[in-house]
Amino acid sequence: MNAAAPLLRLEQVEVVYQKVITAVHGVSLEVPAGQIVVLLGANGAGKTTTLRAVTGFLGSDDARVTDGKIWFEAHAIENCPPHTVAARGIALVPERRKVFETLTVLENLQAAVPSGIRGRAARRERIDQVFDQFPRLAPARGRLAGYLSGGERQMLAMGSALIGAPRLLLVDEMSLGLAPRIVEELLERLVALKKALGLTVLLVEQSAHLALEVADYGYIMESGRVVLDGTAERLRGHGDVQEFYLGMGGGPDRRSYRDVKQYRRSRRWFG
Amino acid sequence: MLIYRVSRVLNLAHGELMMLAAYILISLTTLLGSHPVGALAGAVALSLLVGLVLYVVLMRRMTGELVIAAVLVTIALGILLRGVMVLGWTGRTYHPMQQLGWENKAIALGGGMTASTVALATVGMAVLLYCGLFAFFQFTQWGVRMRAVGENPLLASQRGIALHATYALAWALATLTGGLAGILIALDSGLDTTMAVVGLKAFPAALVGGLGSLRGAVVGSMIVAAAEVLAIHYIDPLVSDVVPFVVLIVMLLIRPWGLFGTEEEIERV
Ligand SMILES: Nc1ncnc2c1ncn2[C@@H]1O[C@H](COP(=O)(O)OP(=O)(O)OP(=O)(O)O)[C@@H](O)[C@H]1O
Ligand SMILES: [Mg+2]
Repeated sequence: MNAAAPLLRLEQVEVVYQKVITAVHGVSLEVPAGQIVVLLGANGAGKTTTLRAVTGFLGSDDARVTDGKIWFEAHAIENCPPHTVAARGIALVPERRKVFETLTVLENLQAAVPSGIRGRAARRERIDQVFDQFPRLAPARGRLAGYLSGGERQMLAMGSALIGAPRLLLVDEMSLGLAPRIVEELLERLVALKKALGLTVLLVEQSAHLALEVADYGYIMESGRVVLDGTAERLRGHGDVQEFYLGMGGGPDRRSYRDVKQYRRSRRWFG
Repeated sequence: MLIYRVSRVLNLAHGELMMLAAYILISLTTLLGSHPVGALAGAVALSLLVGLVLYVVLMRRMTGELVIAAVLVTIALGILLRGVMVLGWTGRTYHPMQQLGWENKAIALGGGMTASTVALATVGMAVLLYCGLFAFFQFTQWGVRMRAVGENPLLASQRGIALHATYALAWALATLTGGLAGILIALDSGLDTTMAVVGLKAFPAALVGGLGSLRGAVVGSMIVAAAEVLAIHYIDPLVSDVVPFVVLIVMLLIRPWGLFGTEEEIERV
């Protein structure tokens, strides 16, 4: 697949909630340095849980990686607390509650500046970089983040994640509730960052269209398992992906990918 | 209130922690009788240390557990502390002001009103602390981080903020300010085991103002204090200890989230 050693590697990762609910069953995937990888799948497939397994759980999540390994370069990071994972250079833009709503835009960015950066001037510089990257945030710097629009919120969340200069960025459902235009703009920003800084990105998406345009490689999850993977090109051309994730062909009842596989297999046996 | 704001845990041992600081002052005074200022500074520093140690050995394990469990632990801590203090310092009344060899002079305020030096110092200290805490939360890196942790600990920790360090700092700051208050009260009106009631009165004040709001705490304590003074004057001095709680109940009926709190904060408790 890829000759270079991957930046992030999941080996047979299993995640269990509340000691009984297994949400992810043995997922393996690789994110090579400098690439954009997309993780696709329907609601409840376990995409968010997979990302959370990488960034770490708090006690209140009552979740654990019960099996498998998560490697970030040479470090095993499964079940590490989130702030140590962040310190290694992994940043997450979560699916929901992605900004501190009772803090202003500026304070959101201040809170996200890593403690390693000392001095008011140095911190200021980092914050100004974010305002340069997302010019639409600059005029809103004094506003409470709870009053931002969905698009501004997403920009602030990405800015807060990028302010620590991470090496790996995880983005959960960026397109949720946003106009396609804004999603396109944000994806372009990611591609630009990838080219300029060599940023590595793992995107989680339900809508495959835009994501597969910018991604290098893709994985498809169903019921806590990876059922298909390949280069973005191959996935775009794959019949089943076209049918179930790109909304091409296929009827109005979009059944799950696995059901259909099952159905085809049985047709092969009996038909 | 500080701890609540950052960790959503109501510290019901606050009164006992105030008292502990005052008792520490008593012991330090007997130890270093010749250095009253040293004894004061030592007591303040030790109360900060007590907060840190309490968090590290006791509350640290409660991080991520149910908030109610942590609150229960603080109740247990309060009972334990009270027992220890009665054993260690007996139940008798101390007058640290005399022990320090200072005099609590009454100062005329004009208009026939007088106030003791210590009472004035207490007011001055309160104003100073309020401004200090406000500036800390508003303008410093750690203050902003603490507010972030208070709103969303998960996101804060994903952004690289160490939760344990933040909670420990909140506990240290809370026992420091509480300890200061305890010391000042002991200096003004002596110290015995009933002082924890004063700490308990802080809760009506904080709740009336809205938990977790600094401004609310100030306004809330003014309302509670005014009600108390009026009750002493017009009804009976004996009811004064009950008044704050009556105000609290009335307030909870009208506006349960307090004057400056937000509705959504109530749901989380
Ligand atoms: N905190 C939790 N406790 C128990 N079960 C959970 C928890 N969070 C998620 N789950 C379960 O884990 C499974 C996977 O959820 P997850 O959020 O990872 O899916 P997803 O692929 O991100 O879905 P979506 O596209 O809707 O965001 C679901 O069946 C869900 O019910
Ligand atoms: Mg999800």
